[in-house]
Amino acid sequence: MSEKDVLLSIKDLRKVYKTRDGELEAIGKVTFDVKDQEFVSIVGPSGCGKSTLLRIVAGLLEKTEGEIIVDKTKFNPDKEVGFVFQKALLLDWRKVIDNVLLPIEILKLDKRKYVDRAMELLEMVGLKGFENRYPNELSGGMQQRVSIARALIHDPKLILMDEPFGALDAITREKMNLELMRIWSESKKTVLFITHEIAEAVFLSDRVIVLSARPSRQVGSFDIDLPRPRGIDLKTTPEFNKYVIDVYKTLEVQ
Amino acid sequence: MSLTAKKPLGVRILYGFWDFLKKYGLTILAIVLLVLIWQIVVDGFHIKKYVLPSPKLVFNSLFGPQAAKNHWWKHIRTTVLEVFGSFALVLVLGVSLAVLISWNRWLNRLLMPVLVLFNSIPKIALAPLFLLWLGYGVKTNIWISFFVAFFPVVINATTGMMSVDDDLLDLVKYLDAKKYQVFLKVRIPASLPYIFSGIKICATSCVVGSIVGEFCAAKSGLGYLMRDAQAFIDMPTMFACLFLLAVIGMSFFGTISILEKVCMPWKRSRRED
Repeated sequence: MSEKDVLLSIKDLRKVYKTRDGELEAIGKVTFDVKDQEFVSIVGPSGCGKSTLLRIVAGLLEKTEGEIIVDKTKFNPDKEVGFVFQKALLLDWRKVIDNVLLPIEILKLDKRKYVDRAMELLEMVGLKGFENRYPNELSGGMQQRVSIARALIHDPKLILMDEPFGALDAITREKMNLELMRIWSESKKTVLFITHEIAEAVFLSDRVIVLSARPSRQVGSFDIDLPRPRGIDLKTTPEFNKYVIDVYKTLEVQ
Repeated sequence: MSLTAKKPLGVRILYGFWDFLKKYGLTILAIVLLVLIWQIVVDGFHIKKYVLPSPKLVFNSLFGPQAAKNHWWKHIRTTVLEVFGSFALVLVLGVSLAVLISWNRWLNRLLMPVLVLFNSIPKIALAPLFLLWLGYGVKTNIWISFFVAFFPVVINATTGMMSVDDDLLDLVKYLDAKKYQVFLKVRIPASLPYIFSGIKICATSCVVGSIVGEFCAAKSGLGYLMRDAQAFIDMPTMFACLFLLAVIGMSFFGTISILEKVCMPWKRSRRED
């Protein structure tokens, strides 16, 4: 891909938290690019500042040093970002459909125009017929799928996902991975995905970026050259496992 | 659910009646027994009516031939008006003040101590002051009642608004939500359960406040009527007033419970699997 396709560039990003016991360096220097329609995963040991990184990109945290360069001709970083959190974070008092439409209300867009889209998205995440339920009527996996539909409703260019399946059991997680694959290939979004599951990262991504323990530095970057669409049987192939072992070794070295 | 829906109307009414009996049967029985024992004790021990009137006399003062002289409706209307008026005020001003207090750190530090200070005054003690300021009448009693009931609602609503999960706030903040949107979409709805538990405390306080106001000075109201009856040692009327106050308090509480269910339908729904 050419230079022009870069959507988001992170250059020498550094984050230092000021705590009572002094300064805590969460992110050392991290530099990488995310290209248009690319699925990039960031893996690293827990507490390595992956979530911090994603929150800085989303504008929820201030960076200490470095730059985040966004190609503003391609998208508006204030309005065209979708965020899927670790927890589903649905608003209990809103029906599923109204939860999906929340970003539309916040961005003050015309809600009526997005109702059909919300229904389509719910169908896409396999929740057709659940639009008038309340969140506490849904299982954990279903709630997380609602939150994915919500992150897509305003048609964002970039989707940030912070260990979205971390709280789910292994079987649901596997299903959600396949689902996410399908959604991503249908909607052609750019995804920045955070996980500590190496196999999950390799399975989903075009590229896997490996971060070290705190203060995190980039210790590796792997282009995952596996054919798409990817099915569950890919996980048994030697090619897939080689990537997993390579990433694992990079994490082990430090 | 679908099974009962198919049954004929008569059967459903019977079922409904049975459900009602199962739920409230013992309560009704307890009240009936209490009244019966009361009547038997008064009759059996020949208790004078200016010491303890029998239920029969209380009933007569409400519905008997002499009932009209008490102008029950006028007094009930005044008290109900005061209770509802102060309740509406508490709700509107209480929630608004809670929004202000939780708007930012500075307002919180500014307003919270003042609120705590006011809360430590026995509110009833303000009644004579209000009388001097506002004169006597319904308006004054609404304000007295308001002060008695106000603080639990503010404190509960503020707690609700401040204790919203940070992650839930991030959810709207990453979309650059304005502060008023954060309140309208997240903080206020999230604090509804807190507001309602505050309101339930407030419901009884509103009645207390109104009655105290009427005791102090008023032209009408059940509290006024009680003072009036006291002067004539008219025990049956005084007991009838107490009974009516209990009825007003209970129906008020019931209304709030219904309101709570209407405002928070998600509290009723649960996962089926």
